Amino acid sequence: MGAGADEPGADGPQLRVVDGEFYPDWEAVYRDNVDRVYRLMFAKVGNRPDAEDLTAEVFLAALRPLRVSASVGEVRAYLSATARTVLAGYWRRTLGREITVLTDDEGLESIPSETAAASDATARAALILAGLPENYQRILQLRFVESCSVREAAAALGISVAYAKVLQHRALRRAAQLEVDR
Amino acid sequence: MSARGARRFVADLLRGRRPRSFRADDADVGQLRAAITLRAAQPDSGTPSEEFVTDLHRRLDDQLATEQTATPLPAPRPVVDSTRRRLVAASSIAVAAAAAGAVVDHTVISRGPAQSGAGGAQTLIPSNGQWRTVSASADLAEGGVQAFDLGSVVGFVARTGGALRAVSGVCTHLGCRLALDAAARRLDCPCHRTSFAVSGELLRYQLPVPPAALPQFEVREMHGEVQVYAPPGPV
Repeated sequence: MGAGADEPGADGPQLRVVDGEFYPDWEAVYRDNVDRVYRLMFAKVGNRPDAEDLTAEVFLAALRPLRVSASVGEVRAYLSATARTVLAGYWRRTLGREITVLTDDEGLESIPSETAAASDATARAALILAGLPENYQRILQLRFVESCSVREAAAALGISVAYAKVLQHRALRRAAQLEVDR
Repeated sequence: MSARGARRFVADLLRGRRPRSFRADDADVGQLRAAITLRAAQPDSGTPSEEFVTDLHRRLDDQLATEQTATPLPAPRPVVDSTRRRLVAASSIAVAAAAAGAVVDHTVISRGPAQSGAGGAQTLIPSNGQWRTVSASADLAEGGVQAFDLGSVVGFVARTGGALRAVSGVCTHLGCRLALDAAARRLDCPCHRTSFAVSGELLRYQLPVPPAALPQFEVREMHGEVQVYAPPGPV
């Protein structure tokens, strides 16, 4: 990853604290990082309810150590480390094995802005899709990325609903194979 | 057999629901990971809802309000309280967080009572050291503290209960030079409101992780002079 340095102002009109500066208080820590932690988690769990819960867990765990003034770098390193443990705990609890992990490279620093995070996620999905036959690509694109219902996806592809289900299942299995091979 | 579990997990993901847990096996991992990666590419997925952000803010506020009864927010956290002496070992935030797991504020590690007050602190013994005079014995009465600057090192020497102790005069956080508050027998960092005792122990700090205690110097008294074992000064 290493998707470039944090650019204050790149996110639009919102005032951001730049690295090396100190957060004056807890409020500032929260305001500046809640979106980042959420994005980090969403990319790893793929659904809103869990991403929200895990974001809350990170902040509640980090609240006491971070309630006093600390540098932006320290705070983000701490939140990233906490996010890593929180995510690992979540997978152990729910599925008994770690489906996704936050690597050392994937911290709060590596998702500088909303747009960069979005293009990152898109790029990762595109990488999966690129390795698949076209009908597999299309069903996954429609169902997962564009959130179409099976019915809508079947209509778009001109196939039956039953076949759309089968196609989706096969496509995902093939995509999983690519993940393993990578 | 968990194929059904995996299928249900994917169906939940597609409905934007919280996926139900099941015991995943090796064969499931790739599918689930691919499904998550694809879902993460939904156009509007990266932004938390306003409602969630506000609600979490309120929960954090509530929790802070409960905790603040012990230590008011603007006051730096005391490291040594009356009931327990806590010593500090963590030096890196990431290490501390990893060790503490998701439960935080384990950055302070209890090591039991340290009689000398120097437990955990490192002693700086230079490889090319020599005994160098930092004060006349007469100038360092009981309870007194003297700053010294030997060019190669700076520090403070104190006489407490008849014993001499010399510590580095540089904050262990980011290297700012400590200032002596003689009345309070305290060394204050000008940068981040960290304070150390003249014995080198951390007294208070406003950082996510407590900085280490100040390194100690070997110190002795010879021929009416107080000396520390320090590197030679700059030529």
